[in-house]
Amino acid sequence: MSNLPKNQKGIPNIAVDLLVSEIFRKNGVNLNNAKSKLSDEQKTAIKELVEELSSQVDSFMNSNNEKR
Amino acid sequence: MVGRNWRALDHCDDYRSTIDADKVQEASQVVGTKQESFEWIIVRDSEDVKVHTTDTQVAVSLQLAIQAAIAAVLSITIGDNDQGRAVSQDLKQFMKTKQRNSQKTVIEGCKHVYVHTTDTDVAVNIQAMLQILVAIVAKVDIA
Repeated sequence: MSNLPKNQKGIPNIAVDLLVSEIFRKNGVNLNNAKSKLSDEQKTAIKELVEELSSQVDSFMNSNNEKR
Repeated sequence: MVGRNWRALDHCDDYRSTIDADKVQEASQVVGTKQESFEWIIVRDSEDVKVHTTDTQVAVSLQLAIQAAIAAVLSITIGDNDQGRAVSQDLKQFMKTKQRNSQKTVIEGCKHVYVHTTDTDVAVNIQAMLQILVAIVAKVDIA
């Protein structure tokens, strides 16, 4: 029941980026400190997790858009 | 002229004397899909109606998975302390949008109909949550 275009992108990435930066700044998060807490193993695991979730979201969006 | 309304199952009336067309239709009304308690699609006195709707189960589990991923990344990078909880709380406020549409679709007296409904709110919210996760991950140099 939607007239939104296919592959609708939601919120512009730059807006989300600003929001996250602002939340980190507001709460006094030191990004360099945060980066140093991550081991290489954790980085790899998180990267894989994000890729997996992105592909699941893509399939969900495609199944929502199909046959429109 | 007062005519009788067209009814999809009229042709069943004399098909088999043991089948009562009204009763058959009564049963097929239940085929209408209900997702949670907010989306209703009622199909009444119709035939050949195809329905395609948002898969709510998948949507909810995806939202939970992304939320868990955000919590995990924040916990590792910032720590399970007041600062981490404050960041998490601020992000949740943004993500806590209305997640369901309330819509009711009634198909009555129709033949050969295809119904496609999309829960735009849930789709946009899932995308926004993923965007937040990606932005956080990029900030800590993982992407």
